[in-house]
Amino acid sequence: MYVLHLLAWLLLVCAVQRPALAQTTYRISGTVTSATTGEALVGATVAVPGLQAGSITNQVGAYSVNLPAGDHTLQVTYIGFEPLARTITVSSNAQRQNLSLQPASNQLQEVEVETNSLTQKLNDNRMSVERLSSREAKLLPALFGEVDLIKTLQLKPGVQSGGEGASGLYVRGGSSDQNLVLLDDAVIYNPSHLFGFFSVFNPDAVEDVELYKAGFPAEFGGRLSSVVDVKLREGNKDSLVVSGGLGLISSRLTVEGPLVKDKSSFILSGRRTYVDVFTRQFNRISEDKEDYSPIPDYYFYDFNAKLNYKLSDKDNLYFSGYYGRDFFSFSDDDFAFGFEWGNTMASLRWQHKFSDRLYANTMLSTTGYKYTVDNKLDVFNVSLTSDILDYTLESNFDLFLDGGHTVRFGAKAIQHSFTVGRLNFNSAENPDQDFSAGSDYEGTEFGVYASDDFEVSPFLSLNYGLRFSGFVNNGKLFTALEPRASAKYNLSETVSIKASYANMMQYVHLVANSGASLPTDVWYPSTGYVKPQRSQQVAAGISKLFADGKFLVTNEVYYKWMRRQIDFRDGANLFVNDNIEQEFLFGKGESYGNEIYFEKIKGRTTGWLGYTLSWTYRTFEGINNGNRFPTRYDRRHDINLVVLHQLNKRISLTGAFVYGTGNAFSLPVARFPFQDVEGKSPTIVPIFTERNGFRLASYHRLDLGLVLKLKPKRGEADLTFSAYNAYNRRNPYFVYFEQAKEDPQNEERITGFQAKQVSLFPVIPSVTYNFKF
Amino acid sequence: MKQILYLLGLLLLCSCNLEKDIDVDLPNHTPQLVVECYLVPGEPYRATVLESSGYFDAPVPPLVPSAQVTILKNGRPLNLTYRPVLHEASGRYFTHSSRDIVSTKPGDVFELRVTDAAGRKLSGFTKVLPVVPIEAVEWKFNDKNKAYLLMSFQDDPNAVNYYRYMTHRDSLSSGSDRDFNLNDNLTNGKRISVGSAYDYEEGDTLIVSLFHLEPAYYEYLNSVDEAKDANGNPFAQPSLIRSSVQGGIGIFTNIALDRKRVILTR
Repeated sequence: MYVLHLLAWLLLVCAVQRPALAQTTYRISGTVTSATTGEALVGATVAVPGLQAGSITNQVGAYSVNLPAGDHTLQVTYIGFEPLARTITVSSNAQRQNLSLQPASNQLQEVEVETNSLTQKLNDNRMSVERLSSREAKLLPALFGEVDLIKTLQLKPGVQSGGEGASGLYVRGGSSDQNLVLLDDAVIYNPSHLFGFFSVFNPDAVEDVELYKAGFPAEFGGRLSSVVDVKLREGNKDSLVVSGGLGLISSRLTVEGPLVKDKSSFILSGRRTYVDVFTRQFNRISEDKEDYSPIPDYYFYDFNAKLNYKLSDKDNLYFSGYYGRDFFSFSDDDFAFGFEWGNTMASLRWQHKFSDRLYANTMLSTTGYKYTVDNKLDVFNVSLTSDILDYTLESNFDLFLDGGHTVRFGAKAIQHSFTVGRLNFNSAENPDQDFSAGSDYEGTEFGVYASDDFEVSPFLSLNYGLRFSGFVNNGKLFTALEPRASAKYNLSETVSIKASYANMMQYVHLVANSGASLPTDVWYPSTGYVKPQRSQQVAAGISKLFADGKFLVTNEVYYKWMRRQIDFRDGANLFVNDNIEQEFLFGKGESYGNEIYFEKIKGRTTGWLGYTLSWTYRTFEGINNGNRFPTRYDRRHDINLVVLHQLNKRISLTGAFVYGTGNAFSLPVARFPFQDVEGKSPTIVPIFTERNGFRLASYHRLDLGLVLKLKPKRGEADLTFSAYNAYNRRNPYFVYFEQAKEDPQNEERITGFQAKQVSLFPVIPSVTYNFKF
Repeated sequence: MKQILYLLGLLLLCSCNLEKDIDVDLPNHTPQLVVECYLVPGEPYRATVLESSGYFDAPVPPLVPSAQVTILKNGRPLNLTYRPVLHEASGRYFTHSSRDIVSTKPGDVFELRVTDAAGRKLSGFTKVLPVVPIEAVEWKFNDKNKAYLLMSFQDDPNAVNYYRYMTHRDSLSSGSDRDFNLNDNLTNGKRISVGSAYDYEEGDTLIVSLFHLEPAYYEYLNSVDEAKDANGNPFAQPSLIRSSVQGGIGIFTNIALDRKRVILTR
């Protein structure tokens, strides 16, 4: 309730501090593009700082601002590009200004340019949005040198990781399946490789990522807690460019260039791990050794492709694709085990400009996630498969109206197909013993929305919208209204306050009974028994610029309610079960907290400091005796410090320090001996009582990085050095209790019990070579 | 799952020397009665009654000398005497026993009652199940002289059935070679085969056991496995023990068992 009062107070301040100025304004519109590649720059900021007026470019790079008559300076900023200032004279309606930006000349400057947009961030009526470019992520130190945008997002306030090295995002108390992860607007269901240690997004192919933690615009729906909006690059429109890198874990190669001059360009990007090349060699060398157990094979690869074609001045076509697979296998003469999983995505998008006022964006896409486990022993075969496959059609419209209104409206329909736990057992010799299991489901999800971005005055802007969503499965229809609203009010040129409310629905659910992102987690539709999840979130914040816009401090508070949350009963069988719904438990969740974010800009040293104070709980009838319990990723204190320093033209240094309260964890409090029905030494059975009732030791880590620009004869190259966990902190991964024995040789004599803490990663140095020509 | 853990284990192995002793403060634990009582046809009535301990308590046998154990067969009571003994043939330890021999037929109902001086009361029921016969035990050698084992039985289509399959080498007093629980959710009414990897050699003596389990016994065994797994597996959820008895922890059940001993020959 405290948060609601605060929100109400902030809104009241908005209403009474400054009346809106009544003044005739004229609409200025146009597009923002890259001067070198011609790519439309999506999400660029066009602003007139003196008036606190501005606009963010839409999906075709179009913007529209309303300005009073007179001379004004349009300031345009975009990550990785030099800022542009153009003075215009406004005297009549419907004036058009197309703007082109030059790429920034060096990497650190690119980051600086991003921070230059802090004034616009202050004035942006969206709140709780974090934006990160691939260029920025590439400067920061990374685990095994594998640049990962999703993990870099974990350095932002309000975002937790699931565990050491994991790429899952836990945003403001939501679980990792409550993130709407979009790649060029198509959903990616399992955005991780290697059991969650790396995300599926290849930094060479990705332009940037935006993370919405609250205040979700009405065009987004289907998940409760966040939107992770990843955009692929369009490819160089002027010349053929090859770039890539050689790292400790994987290698990357990207080819991009024009297909038809001024009409079409492409980008193809791929990467693959190569640990398996060495392990296979090692297995071959050691295969004659007695009792040698071969090392299992593991590798992953992924491909990204994007192609755009300019049909006319008013029409553009885009094709985006992703294909990635992880493979894990081992075998000998009689036995073979294979495990394969991955995502597939393809989308075709048509952008049409009806006029300077009306733009349309229509997309047909398919996306899917699938895993298959194959086990073969002599004549017996067992295979297990689960998958989800979607076909989506959506249309979104941007309508720029007079009076400071930008209206967005659209509709979306998704046809889901689910295969849950498809098991096949067969024997070549005894076909009468063959059996199979598994369930197939269909579901149709839809959403219709409209929203208005309304610049009420130079000081006050509002965004309000409504989404009507629904889900149909086997004749059962669920519908919901999802209101969204946000407001921004400038108390002065350097201080703004913001508030938002969002109501979200989630119709598909991840069946996952562990703290990690496992590839065997499957998606499940809403049914008569499994109702849709729902959340509501209110957030309020204040931002202040210091020192001529060099520093921005933002403080946000939030409260989130979640209904129909899903967990599973003790001993749930989630793998092969035709009655999986019997295993579900339903409950509620809540999360609240405060996030402080301090950004330093300009100069040779830049970076940010974030502090989050938060609480996250769940309550289920069948868990913890019905008492509220903290989630594993409930973290009372969380601090992130990121510093980037340009030492000279060739060397930049980076460091990231993280500190977090230890994860909540379940430990047994008691034990009893169990002999079993047949003779053997008694075993110790732990007795658990409270869910997540203990805390692991606090987590802290320092990562250091160095980027050294090389001087190749042709093109560009650099060496990127990283030291993950530089001071070799033994961070807790989990704790278990072990029997202490007097004589390790004599297992019968137990002398006591000892708690053991296991850590995952010590200091891990790495080096990556990157090139571009 | 095991394969996933195997890979994660490899990762952990790469990060060797990443384990250390720590101190954990646990809340005080109020001991609960813990019982294991299996009614094995042809053997005396025996039970083991102990109590639970705080995890870091001294590892002394948690005996409950004041415990009084009564078993009622179809309503007729039989008191078991407190006489802690290690049964050498089976290697198992019993606290209470009787000279009476267990005799059962399918459908018989037994009740267990345990009380002690502290006023604790524990009770449970078991209903005797029919033995499910092992129809065949077969094996097949590969060209490396290794054999896999295949045990087959017929599931009753008119009942929901739970089973436990065990293989021992040479004798029952050592730990089992294979041990897992299964149900007939996917194989109702079918002839079910349970196999192994190529683990055996010519001349091996194997004891194959098929237990027909009550649902509560199946749940108890699974919950014990899950609880053990949760202590040391960072991805497992903690599991409460799903006992077949009320007022404490433990299992009271009848043993409906078929068993075959085979010597592998080519």
